[in-house]
Amino acid sequence: MERVSVPPEHNRLSASKLAGQFNNKAGSSLMVAANGATSRRPLWAGFLRSAENFPDRPALVAEKKTVSYAELRDLARRIAATIQRHPEFSSTQLTAVFAYRSPTAFAGVLGTLFAGNGYVPLNRTFPEGRTQVMFERSECRSLIVDANSLPQLNGLLEHASERVLVILPDLSDVSPLEAKWPMHSFVGAEELRPASQWQEPTIENDSLAYLLFTSGSTGTPKGVAVAQRNVVSFLDYMVERYEVTEQDRFSQMFDMTFDLSAFDMFVAWERGACVCCPSQKELIKPDSFIKNNNLTMWFSVPSTAVFMKQLGLLKPGHYPQLRVSLFCGEPLPVSSVQAWSYAAPNSIVENLYGPTELTIACTLYRWDAQRSAAESEMGIVPIGYPYPGMKYLVVDEELGEVPPGEHGELLMSGPQMSLGYWKDAKKTADAFITVPGRTDVYYRTGDRVRRPRSSAPLIHLGRVDSQIKVLGHRVELGEIEAVVRKHCGSDAVVAVGWPSTSSGYGGVEVFIEGQVENHQLRDAVRSELPEYMVPRRFHFRDKLPRNPNGKLDRTTISKSLDGKHD
Amino acid sequence: MIEASSEQIRTFLQQYILEKSVAGGKEKPGELADDCDLLLSGMIDSLGLLDLMSAIQQHCQQEIDFEALDPEQLTVVGPLCRYVSEQLAAR
Repeated sequence: MERVSVPPEHNRLSASKLAGQFNNKAGSSLMVAANGATSRRPLWAGFLRSAENFPDRPALVAEKKTVSYAELRDLARRIAATIQRHPEFSSTQLTAVFAYRSPTAFAGVLGTLFAGNGYVPLNRTFPEGRTQVMFERSECRSLIVDANSLPQLNGLLEHASERVLVILPDLSDVSPLEAKWPMHSFVGAEELRPASQWQEPTIENDSLAYLLFTSGSTGTPKGVAVAQRNVVSFLDYMVERYEVTEQDRFSQMFDMTFDLSAFDMFVAWERGACVCCPSQKELIKPDSFIKNNNLTMWFSVPSTAVFMKQLGLLKPGHYPQLRVSLFCGEPLPVSSVQAWSYAAPNSIVENLYGPTELTIACTLYRWDAQRSAAESEMGIVPIGYPYPGMKYLVVDEELGEVPPGEHGELLMSGPQMSLGYWKDAKKTADAFITVPGRTDVYYRTGDRVRRPRSSAPLIHLGRVDSQIKVLGHRVELGEIEAVVRKHCGSDAVVAVGWPSTSSGYGGVEVFIEGQVENHQLRDAVRSELPEYMVPRRFHFRDKLPRNPNGKLDRTTISKSLDGKHD
Repeated sequence: MIEASSEQIRTFLQQYILEKSVAGGKEKPGELADDCDLLLSGMIDSLGLLDLMSAIQQHCQQEIDFEALDPEQLTVVGPLCRYVSEQLAAR
């Protein structure tokens, strides 16, 4: 086993610099050195080119409305011109988009980017308290809101300590809001600036594409800052690999608060294709959505395929028009791929892997009916091979590379490595490290993989920490424990994933030492966590099992659920 | 394999929701109305729906093909119960 001979301070030097740049927005070029070649092509350049080439083709179907490239460009430019008109609200170079699966949501994302800012997606289906924390931590001073998110706007503004520019493209009369909130500035549909006033912004090396909040182990979500050049690098490979054309029609199964949504939008728009957004119910039962929208490109978490199979929606030959099917976000069961392949006989099927910190996806594996079952382990499809330019190491706890065939933590580096955690130098330094004997900065994925022998694919074996996947959502058990601890008064709280499914966990259950009023606790926890993180059950025990070191024994606690459930 | 009327499916659904609510520490739900949307009312989430569908199929002792059910009605009590009952009768 290789020993670490470099002091920890050295390991963290580069990453500290990296995180520091967010504190002063100095536009450091550190990542150029770390990653080699970079691109300053704006993320939105592909959309504008497509709008030029195919102005009348559909760019988007959302809320049952079809929006052409020219229409979407026009609305996005009007939003951008409005943001540019008020530069005093762009000090953090971020704009929040508080909109959900509506044309305004997509125009808001584009408008934000056209204005030279990165977007911060907010989600009205999340608890309001969590949305407020995300908005506060981002320090956004501008905000785009759609009609259906409007009822939650007051809650957001109540916690705003500084003046905010609120753009409401779906609202004609903003005077009631102006009367209620004299401190803030409101722009309604009629007051948006003309598209002709939009000025193309200059893109810096580290100009942000988006800031996405993920589950954090200390109880508060952490913001991952992804640069436009990270996403452009990803896009270049994806559009070529899948030979995307203006005839393609993409699914949009992911909320914008899930970074996989960026694939659907930007890969489609890069080549003039259409993004099709299902309704909330169609997300659960998407068979007619796939057919009615003539989808050619499918991208979802594997759980959607598992669910569709269970509902009888994966009959052989059902989706002949699909030509590319991609799965990402959680382990992909072999049985799901096989069922999907029968249902979509003309489609290639690929398993994508990647944490938000490495921009959407950074390894992939193409399913091959002849070969892949043998390459899979424990019924799970391999995560495959790194994207071009991305490189990896498989290391032990002391950051020494493990021999081929052994397992360890996956570290990755390359042009898709994000800038780090927003305004959090310590977390950035802990996760973005310099490995002894190497100069490049690597991101610690926290994922356990097997180091391949020769040309074999990477195999994902689980997590090295307490992070789990609940139906595709990344969940830090520590965050749930922190929230429960705060409300129950007991220090001994253990969250476990249960039940185990073929691709992760179906939900979370919590064990608490001592007795607490169950009903109030659940309500309190529900007010702070999104639904997929809210414990399905609370188990109260006089004493929780501990290991010889006095630490709560997660394994024993977790095993106590097996066989005891209904 | 069993045959069951729409009302019998509804009785099972009522019991299922009650058990899940008690186990999860939620308020006990009242009588489920015909137009009650289990998803929009917050009684179950999209993840819980998978569990519910499994439970229905287990209760009926057979796989149920949900393809012909409009997605907008998948989580609405009346249409869901009638659909399951019709599927069982059709076998």
